[in-house]
Amino acid sequence: MGNLIWHEYARYVSLTATVYTVWASFWAFFYRKFFWDFVGGIVRTPGGIQPASNVSIFITLIVKTPVIPVLSMLHGLALIALEYPLPMLKNTAVHRSFVVRIIALLGQASLAILYYQGTNGALWSIVAAICYMRAQALGEKMKEAKANRGRGGKA
Amino acid sequence: MGESWFQREFLNPRRAIFNVVFYGVQLFLFAYGWYSQETNKKLSALNGLKWSVWTSRGAGLVLAFDGGMILVPMLRNIIRVVRPKMTWLFPADENIWFHRQVAYSMAFWAMVHTTAHYVNFFNVERTQVRPEIALDIHYTQAGGITGHFMLLIMVLMYTTAHHKVRAQCFEAFWYTHHLAFFFMIGLYSHATGCFVRDSAGPDYIKTFPFYSTEHCLGYESWRFTIWPGIIYFGERIWREIRARRATRLSKVLVHPSGAMELRIVKPSFKYVPGQWLFIQVPDVSGWQWHPFTITSAPEDPYVSVHIRQVGDWTQGLGERVGAGPSVVAAMTQAAMKGAEKDDSVYGIRGDFVELDPTSNARPLPAVRIDGPYGAPAEDVFNCEVAVLVGAGYCTSGVTPFASILKHIWYRQKKGALGTLKRVEFFWIVRDAPSFGWFQTLLQEVEAAQADPNFLRINIYLTQKIGEDMLWNIAVNDAGAEYDPLTLLRTRTMFGRPDWKSIYMRMRTAIETGQYLPGTNAQLKTKVGTYFCGAGPIAKALKEACHNVTTNNITFTFAKEHF
Repeated sequence: MGNLIWHEYARYVSLTATVYTVWASFWAFFYRKFFWDFVGGIVRTPGGIQPASNVSIFITLIVKTPVIPVLSMLHGLALIALEYPLPMLKNTAVHRSFVVRIIALLGQASLAILYYQGTNGALWSIVAAICYMRAQALGEKMKEAKANRGRGGKA
Repeated sequence: MGESWFQREFLNPRRAIFNVVFYGVQLFLFAYGWYSQETNKKLSALNGLKWSVWTSRGAGLVLAFDGGMILVPMLRNIIRVVRPKMTWLFPADENIWFHRQVAYSMAFWAMVHTTAHYVNFFNVERTQVRPEIALDIHYTQAGGITGHFMLLIMVLMYTTAHHKVRAQCFEAFWYTHHLAFFFMIGLYSHATGCFVRDSAGPDYIKTFPFYSTEHCLGYESWRFTIWPGIIYFGERIWREIRARRATRLSKVLVHPSGAMELRIVKPSFKYVPGQWLFIQVPDVSGWQWHPFTITSAPEDPYVSVHIRQVGDWTQGLGERVGAGPSVVAAMTQAAMKGAEKDDSVYGIRGDFVELDPTSNARPLPAVRIDGPYGAPAEDVFNCEVAVLVGAGYCTSGVTPFASILKHIWYRQKKGALGTLKRVEFFWIVRDAPSFGWFQTLLQEVEAAQADPNFLRINIYLTQKIGEDMLWNIAVNDAGAEYDPLTLLRTRTMFGRPDWKSIYMRMRTAIETGQYLPGTNAQLKTKVGTYFCGAGPIAKALKEACHNVTTNNITFTFAKEHF
């Protein structure tokens, strides 16, 4: 694929997926639902799906208290800080590491897949992780920002 | 940049009108969609979902508008015909810019619409207003499936359309953007699941569109949004047919600066200066079309483009015609040496080498061209004085002026210059070696001038000059007939042009009658400035034009997006 620099492309997908996930987790505070509750659950009118008793741990962490969405949001905000990046993270070993990002994105996907609003964010995070894996496999390196280069027209 | 967001978006009247109309229409549609849902008695069951369903319907209507508009700026052939008649409405070739604005709006409203639907389906499941669960609607019904699918396509299309990705790997952008086909299918079929209905179950029927509009009460927006899609599809087929008409690559010239000139013969191809075309070389890639500015004049018996080997496609093309990067590098070196010794085989620097197809094992590749597109620069002939300003080389910068200058030169020979009396050409360039082929062209045009006052070439070199180069220029320049850098009679100037004083002097010269013989202060004079290049210079030029305009002398400014 031409001269595509995979980790630069992956960054855009990762930022999109993460912003979506943070937004989704925010809504998960108010409309609380375990995504997988249909497995073994029964539908009650009204009331919707009553989940099976063997998933009660997720009901506690998502529906009774939104612990997983809160974790997902914090995780997402941290990932945005790393990807954007926050000035103090620039040029650190963590910022240059693709492995950290792959793990963080897959972690984000596994958190987001648990609650109702998180599925698209989870899917896109996996897409971003795959792009970073490709960058890692191709041996790409993140270049340090060149010093003293202002933006054009601003000098 | 001293310009704030507010100044840029609202204090420029044209932009302000655009913002008010474009975003005003969207806000109106949102409000109307909201209102028509909330007040529809037939949909009272759905209205039990309250604000979330009103929001999703409103945003859905805006998305229908955006989905219809997104393809409109891509109807290139229609725009080419319509645009010259509507220059008062569109400042220049702003179609890609508009395409992007629609896309940004679409992303925003997609966010609103999707968020609202997540709440809708959650509440449908909770209240069981319909006997189904949220995931049924998301993943088993037409609206949900197409919606999630369109969102995924949008992620891929938007991320690969980032200007950095486009520059790195055009084909990643090019191929991914063709997902638009599936996106559009998704858009047109988004409502076929009959989610907005007053009946308990979806009311499907046997005939098109396979749901009854008696009970399925969506906006039926596909009836409108499908037309740009059909027209665009038709355009693509028409472009394919047109591209298949007889085309022959007659010559490949390699210029020492590294630019390849492709001379193509295609009798059915008609164009005017300032336009551009798409080129395809099936031997390099059977699918990709790459845009290039036309550098020949309509009077030339061929269509030429100048291609520099910077990306993988252009390098592939170089290899294919037997002038790969290594060959070009060797030629450039030889030519640079030749510049110092006038008796060398290459003569003056800037001479090109024609690739001899017979010495090459393979014949020249087949090419296909599609076009022309873009704004014609014909109105150059409607002013008394044309000021052409090209800045930079890398981004098309100066290439359109090649065609325009050649065209002026041909018309000059025919004596058909219209009202045009003088041409001032300004070329602002960073470094000397990038002069290359364009310099050869300027030499030809300059040499052909019978009237020394008709065309004035002003070259500004903006790079910092080392001491060695400074002495070199000083030694060679004094008393020489030609400028040592450009080999033109015109002297190269160093640093940035001071537009205000240049325009001021021009105005004074016109007023005193020195500039245009036979014209006096009583006659109206039009000085048109045509600019191609980066933003800051455009601003400076625009200000200068505005400042020096008087009752009798109008200075107009046009920024061309070649």
